[in-house]
Amino acid sequence: MNVELVNLRGAAREKWAAEMNSGRVRLNVTLDTSSIARGAEDTLAALRNGVAANKLAADVNITGSWGFCWMEPCVAVRSSAGTKTVLYANVTADRVEEFLDRVVVQGQDMPELALGIVEGNATAEIPLLADHPFMKGQVRRLMANLGFTDPENIDHYMANGGYEGFGKALEMDAEAIIKEMLDSGLGGRGGGGFPAGRKWDFLRSANADPRYLICNADEGDPGAWVNRVLMEGDPHLIVEGMLIAALGAKARAGYIYIRYEYPLAIDRMRKAIADAYAKGLLGENILGTGLDFDLYVFKGAGAYVCGEETGLINSIDSYRGMPRIKPPFPAQAGLWNKPTNVNNVESYANAPLIMRNGAAWWSGVSDEKEKGTKMFTFSGSVNWQGCIEIPFGPTVRTALDQYAGGMKGGKACKGFQPGGPLSGMLNGRELDLTLTLDPYRGKGMFLGSGGIVFFDDSACVIDMCKFFVAFCEDESCGRCTTCHGGSQRAVEVMRRIQAGGGREADIDNLEKLIQTLVWSNCLHGQFTMTTVKTSLKEFRDEWVEHIVDKRCRAGVCEGLIQYRVRSQTASGLEEAAAICPTGAVQQERGQWFIDDGLCIRCGACKEQSPDGLEVVPRLAATPTLAAATAAGG
Amino acid sequence: MSAEPSAQELRDLVAEFEPNKGHVMPALHKVQETYGYISRPAIEAIARQLNTTPALVYGAVSFYSDFRTHPPAQTEIAWCSGPACRLAGGDRIREAMQATLELPLGGESDDHRYGIHVGQCNGTCSEAPQVWLNGQVVGNLTVSKAIEMAREIRGGGE
Ligand SMILES: Cc1cc2nc3c(=O)[nH]c(=O)nc-3n(C[C@H](O)[C@H](O)[C@H](O)COP(=O)(O)O)c2cc1C
Ligand code: FES
Repeated sequence: MNVELVNLRGAAREKWAAEMNSGRVRLNVTLDTSSIARGAEDTLAALRNGVAANKLAADVNITGSWGFCWMEPCVAVRSSAGTKTVLYANVTADRVEEFLDRVVVQGQDMPELALGIVEGNATAEIPLLADHPFMKGQVRRLMANLGFTDPENIDHYMANGGYEGFGKALEMDAEAIIKEMLDSGLGGRGGGGFPAGRKWDFLRSANADPRYLICNADEGDPGAWVNRVLMEGDPHLIVEGMLIAALGAKARAGYIYIRYEYPLAIDRMRKAIADAYAKGLLGENILGTGLDFDLYVFKGAGAYVCGEETGLINSIDSYRGMPRIKPPFPAQAGLWNKPTNVNNVESYANAPLIMRNGAAWWSGVSDEKEKGTKMFTFSGSVNWQGCIEIPFGPTVRTALDQYAGGMKGGKACKGFQPGGPLSGMLNGRELDLTLTLDPYRGKGMFLGSGGIVFFDDSACVIDMCKFFVAFCEDESCGRCTTCHGGSQRAVEVMRRIQAGGGREADIDNLEKLIQTLVWSNCLHGQFTMTTVKTSLKEFRDEWVEHIVDKRCRAGVCEGLIQYRVRSQTASGLEEAAAICPTGAVQQERGQWFIDDGLCIRCGACKEQSPDGLEVVPRLAATPTLAAATAAGG
Repeated sequence: MSAEPSAQELRDLVAEFEPNKGHVMPALHKVQETYGYISRPAIEAIARQLNTTPALVYGAVSFYSDFRTHPPAQTEIAWCSGPACRLAGGDRIREAMQATLELPLGGESDDHRYGIHVGQCNGTCSEAPQVWLNGQVVGNLTVSKAIEMAREIRGGGE
């Protein structure tokens, strides 16, 4: 292997070993966007202050996410002898004093906050972390360093197998690298599943210079944060993956396009790139091998459609991120009309693992057609909103029951969205589908990039459809009328249904729009109506109820419901009147009532007086022609 | 966010950027990070520096939701429009906050003290429903809590 790299990795291992054998307690605090939202910065500061003030023999480090996003801040405590590591959750700043006292000063466990034993033996009170239902069946390869290494420390990465895959790739020619990638069967993780090796081969065979790589870190699907977990937790995995791609596809420069909503991921990727330059792993004549490769972070500015690869390219080299018309494909004419390869964060991040351990090892983890592991995040009406990495194969039901902790309040799952606003919507009856690509393709939808949203009967299907199509309308680039005008029309129809003005022809109207929008220029427009299309199949009754019966069974659609005083004597009615932002909760001659003209259906009153108020239907059903005739009307 | 920068100051600020190198967005980000918004003179300075027209630069400004052409309000509420927040009552929270503040989404008060705009899910969905107050997450809201918060923001300073 390249001597310079061997030396760099050797030095890193020595530093890591010194840290591991320091004889000091090690406190690894998860510091990422999810944990910061739950106070991890305060926890970190409190731990550092406490350790300094009490001169404790402990080191406080930062690390990436364990995936337990709903129980942050997480702190992993490794004993001074290095024989035992315990993972703790919900270590908020106010608990730090006691935490330090018990865990570091007295050297005991703190079972009430413990999630499990990471290293060492289970105790009577604390089971092994591997036995936690959230961890069972997970295979953490991409996430292997998360919880252990400091994402801002390149030596930590190098000491744990980092840049070894790149070292191996340096000794292979481009054809061999691509063959290894093809053998692995790695499919693109951004939603399409196209073999990464084939895309790299397209780029390699393009006959123009320079060639560019782009890492798609726009992760615009609301409810998906797998790419963020990786960038914030192990940014060098992406740098190394792109270096391997640069060798395989003979690229000269790369861009990592990160949405502006991810400032910490941007900082961590920038730091990783700067550190890689400082070690001679990027730039000209990398490690004396003659390889030149520059890597940049490009910060987005808020546009979903820039996640579409040609929109992304336009966003970098032009002004507005409007998708181009294909062909030409990026591999022929991409960035500055030069050959370009676009892959998702998770796609590139797998390359170091494939190179390090070989295609056979990498793909052996799963029997499915899709090879390797996949990261998923779960949100919506579930108990656990976390991030996991599993081999392809488990069903949505497993994901829900085991990894998302089931539905909140033990309710039934009414439905779910597999992966982003373009992916579609399925009924809870479909929970036995596997988390692989084909079942969704068969339904005219797709699995998406990993963010699964579950909902229960408090969600209205029509409202969710309106919401997702309105999102697509907002995010339409505006180039083709089919997309921006079509989505606008669909939103108008759904708004009218929600307002109580649904007409029997509306389902046909929406069907027409479904058929029209597939003629949009890019996939954004082509998939805008997927949610409506699939929900019309999966939840047809609910559409008919809204349109004909004027009923919203979830009590969501503003024009179909009404707030009403149910009990004049219930507690909380005064408070309800006080909280109402429009003065709709009123009293006349001692009797409470709701002024329906003022009511905006925000429901604050019902929060104050759950027994005093109720939501009731507002409109009578429209008599259908058939019903009217039968009634002799 | 202070006084209007001079033309020279703007020219200096964007002097590092070059034409045809994908520098439009970085230049716009730098201006916004410095002044909190992108003024018309700033658009002109960028256009000159990058050898292009103000119309094309403005085209970029208007395309992306993060770029703003006016200074932010003192207290900016970014309302999370994502699905987890919506399933937890986020849309009712928006209605209630807008009614309390008497503002449309994207609007700000006449005295520039407070404004409300759309935010996008960044994967802190465990805190749903949430808003960001000047970038800080305020999560696990109820409609009532959101109304109280909006009343405080609106009444604050009186
Ligand atoms: C509207 C739209 C948004 C997209 N957003 C993303 C995204 O945020 N991240 C992503 O990796 N791919 C996204 N894609 C898919 C990309 O166009 C592209 O297929 C992908 O980045 C290729 O990488 P992969 O082969 O590694 O999956 C989006 C596609 C469309 C149509
Ligand atoms: S939906 Fe609001 S944070 Fe994800």
